[in-house]
Amino acid sequence: MTLSTTDTTWYPVASSTDLPLRHVFHGQLLGRELAIWRADDGNVNVWENRCLHRGVRLSIGINEGGELKCQYHGWRYANRSAGCTYIPAHPADAPARRITNTTYPAVEAFGLVWSANNGAAEFAPFDGSASAEWLALRPMPINATTEDVLKALEGYAVTAEKGILGVATVTERLPGLAVKVTVELKEGHRSIVFFVQPVDSNRCVVRGLLDHTFPDINAQLRSHNEGLVQLRDRLERLAEKKPIPEPLTPSFEKVSVELSTMPEITIGSALTLRAMVKRKWATATGITAFELTALDGNHLPTFQPGAHIDVHLPNGLSRQYSITNGPGELLSYTIGVKRDLASKGGSEVLIDTVREGDVLAISEPRNNFPLRRDTIRTVLIAGGIGITPILSMARFLAKSNLPYELHYIVRSEDQIAFRDQIDALGANVTLHIGLPRAAIAETITKTLGAHSFAQHVYICGPGSLLETVRTTAADLGWPDEAVHYEYFRNDRVIDDSSAFEVELARSAMTLHIPSGKTVLEVMREAGLQVSSSCEQGACGTCLTGVMEGTPDHQDVYLNASEKRANNCMMTCVSRSLTPRLVLDI
Amino acid sequence: MAITLYDFELSGNCYKLRLLMSILGVRYDIIPVDFYPGRQHKSDWFLKLNPLGQLPVLVDDGLVLRDSGAILAYLARKYDPSGLWFPTEPVQLAEVLQWHAFADDITATASAARLALGMFYDFDLPKVQAGAHRLFRLMDEHLWFGEREGRAWLCAAPHPTTADIACFPYVMLSEEGNISRMDYPAIRRWSDRVRRIPGFTVMSGIFPAGRAAAE
Amino acid sequence: MTTPSPIDAVTRDLWQVIAAVDETPVGVVSTTLLLDQRLAFSRDSDGSPVVWLRTTEEHGDEIDLATVTVRLPVISGYGYIWTSFGNPPDHLFPIPEYAEPDRVNMSCGSIGVGSSAPRIVENFLDMGHFPYVHTDILGAEPHTEVKEYDVEVSEERDEVLATRCRFFQPRAALSATEGIEVEYIYRVPHPFCSVLYKSCPEDVTRQDVIAIFLQPMTAETTRAHLLQSMIDSTSTITDLRRFQQTIFGQDKPILENQYPKRLPLDPRAETPIRADKSAIAYRRWLSQKGITYGTIPMAS
Repeated sequence: MTLSTTDTTWYPVASSTDLPLRHVFHGQLLGRELAIWRADDGNVNVWENRCLHRGVRLSIGINEGGELKCQYHGWRYANRSAGCTYIPAHPADAPARRITNTTYPAVEAFGLVWSANNGAAEFAPFDGSASAEWLALRPMPINATTEDVLKALEGYAVTAEKGILGVATVTERLPGLAVKVTVELKEGHRSIVFFVQPVDSNRCVVRGLLDHTFPDINAQLRSHNEGLVQLRDRLERLAEKKPIPEPLTPSFEKVSVELSTMPEITIGSALTLRAMVKRKWATATGITAFELTALDGNHLPTFQPGAHIDVHLPNGLSRQYSITNGPGELLSYTIGVKRDLASKGGSEVLIDTVREGDVLAISEPRNNFPLRRDTIRTVLIAGGIGITPILSMARFLAKSNLPYELHYIVRSEDQIAFRDQIDALGANVTLHIGLPRAAIAETITKTLGAHSFAQHVYICGPGSLLETVRTTAADLGWPDEAVHYEYFRNDRVIDDSSAFEVELARSAMTLHIPSGKTVLEVMREAGLQVSSSCEQGACGTCLTGVMEGTPDHQDVYLNASEKRANNCMMTCVSRSLTPRLVLDI
Repeated sequence: MAITLYDFELSGNCYKLRLLMSILGVRYDIIPVDFYPGRQHKSDWFLKLNPLGQLPVLVDDGLVLRDSGAILAYLARKYDPSGLWFPTEPVQLAEVLQWHAFADDITATASAARLALGMFYDFDLPKVQAGAHRLFRLMDEHLWFGEREGRAWLCAAPHPTTADIACFPYVMLSEEGNISRMDYPAIRRWSDRVRRIPGFTVMSGIFPAGRAAAE
Repeated sequence: MTTPSPIDAVTRDLWQVIAAVDETPVGVVSTTLLLDQRLAFSRDSDGSPVVWLRTTEEHGDEIDLATVTVRLPVISGYGYIWTSFGNPPDHLFPIPEYAEPDRVNMSCGSIGVGSSAPRIVENFLDMGHFPYVHTDILGAEPHTEVKEYDVEVSEERDEVLATRCRFFQPRAALSATEGIEVEYIYRVPHPFCSVLYKSCPEDVTRQDVIAIFLQPMTAETTRAHLLQSMIDSTSTITDLRRFQQTIFGQDKPILENQYPKRLPLDPRAETPIRADKSAIAYRRWLSQKGITYGTIPMAS
């Protein structure tokens, strides 16, 4: 029998008890090392044991409950997807979301964790598995070939079982490197099944399952451990006299071209996927929550705190909604939708016509509101529905034990959305209920205090609140780069009366922008593929580098110093103060 | 009261004392000894402190002590008012001392492999590596059944003792001697528990554990 | 034992470090491994080093060096003995600061590392790991940002140069909000050596120099030789060595847990970010030079 690194068989790779919370198990299957860890939600992750950045073993990293943190540079990878959510060396940036570690399939069954190097085949329980409750024996690593170990196991029962625990009557080989031993007891027949985990060409782990109804289970565990130790010692003495087979050499998959370039290029338009409304409920007066899941029951793509999805509505409109989830929560996205009479029919359609069980087209998560995790103090301020991205941020900070405070401003108690999630954050949350408009600035002043090193504030809410916080922060000496905000929409009236020329440096193309048309529209008419989302200068998706000329910004995405620098703009609303602009497109 | 530790940063035996003193909150001064490349532990001035020419040496108010296991016992008896770290009840005492001896065997194997590969000491590498694996197999088995029976530490007591401190460093540094701990999952879990003892401190080569899950 | 790796032409002609001069006894054989070959070396009565391919000599034997007739090229520099299997250049790469009379120059011990020399150089150039690997010494969370810096490959000197490197480092005092931004310059003047210049606390007009000279014993095992050239009138040699050994001892488990052990030169093997500019330049430079020893070259 030859071992293959692309074998599709499912093998046990760990015991369930090997995976307490906040631990990373170091395993190996068919020559390939694995980092195996259980998230706080119980999910078991089986990943290649290698950080994509510099190849350091993830098994020396830290299980933070919802994310795994690499020991070398602190990169975080999300539970389930293994997508990178944070790169500490560039704390203000959202990492390219397709930095994703190699994962292997995982099934937890019979007290063992099963995986396959090649997930092409479905996991199937072994023959006879339904006939008993199973208990995993202490695993026994052996330096010998699978072949020799299997042969020895076929002879195991008769020698080890005799006398103390009953007499083995039948041994049979099962598919997938397994041996089943039937033992005759006074009480009747009981089975033990031994699986051989092929670690490498000359190394295995014997993982046994014992029928739970054996009498005196602790003595059984001890006795089998003794039996397997003897078997191991015998096999290793024999193996020492044999030539050592060449170790298996699994190949490492290459990263995509876009990830291998530096600096990271921005990723174009997000892919669209279909999601089902699993749950729809009123989370506060005027706010409806939707929980969206993937159709196939798998996890959804990786998101970072502050990220949003575009929801494509049945009436052809598309709207952005922030994800409220905490780290590693990828089985569904929960969003909050506020009934907004002023909207052009976005929120209304969702709230009034979309029901549980309906399928919606959504974009992959995109992040224009990235959260730094390198702060001494983080102040989160949410007004009304602005709680949605802020809630996600708070849950990430809480899980990593980073210092933060959340100030949630609502008109009345019944308008507090996601109340149980808010309550779970405990003393870090301050609710400001029914604060008179005049008192808001004073409250913000008190909350922020004077700025000092590595303090950051994040605000999401109505435009008036954002303006208040921005002004207050500026008055208190907070620098622009410490004040982070996300507008839901641009309330300003866009002046599109100017006409000018745009030169696209990389596309070698010059376009005339007439009054009444946006740069984005003209580029699309010229056949260019450019990504955009809100198309009102609020979301930052169409952010473009300006190489020459002075833009007329008009957006609410860039902060004052970014606007002054004049080296980037939003093609959806920004125009030109000079006759000509040169853009980095 | 003034404690002075003659110390080499990369020595696991010295680290045992730094670790216990950190856990017990005992203040001490360090006199660095250039073990490598300077070989100051074989110099005349050091041999006067310890004729065996071995680190660590601890001086407490004029009392000069050598041997990490003996010093662990001394520090625990003298500076741990709870009496838990080095119990005197006969059965518990014997149990701790058994593991102190086991720790010395780990030093003779795992630490020797590390010195051979890291500082080019002339040891029989395959022999000391195999010896370390033999010990780790026993230790993993002991800890695996311990977990099953509700025992988290090396000794039966429901709290860590100097036995855990004595065994910890050279287990954790074994990979520098090319002794993988992949086959010892129960040891790896125990090492998380040791690293979560309040007051735990690291040495070069040992990273801290992340936080435990909230109760 | 693994089979020896082929030695590329560039590597063959390099000067390769093998030991600190002061740690090499006169008239007694020392042995080591370089590029998969066993060497013997010693110093003669006037202290000058002699290196030869080892035949029957054992470590610690006394020897009359007059009997050693077939010798390898040898040069002394920066307190170390260097040799070569090919035709090495006339001089070692320059570290002019080493000769300044008021500097304290010292070796810090030769440490064995289970990784390739290029992986160790790359780690030496890296700042992003300071808070995670050298916690509370060279960095501390949450101060993790690697700010923009400049990298060039100097044509004239044929070396990689990273300048304007800055990193926030915690002060030894535990006032968590106070810290200093330390400025670094990194040079890679030799495929297996790197030199860093770091703000000097004692004299703001000058810089401390720390160098790492790597001896590739095999493609995947290395002897790391550290040099410190400091402006420091208060610390003892033992203190300074202890500091550097602490730092290197923290890097060692990272390096030994890196896979593959040889440095992959294919840009698609790993995922670089802006902070890795110097590493990217180093990998390209190695690739253009044709260094295959200790690397996984790009598939052509």
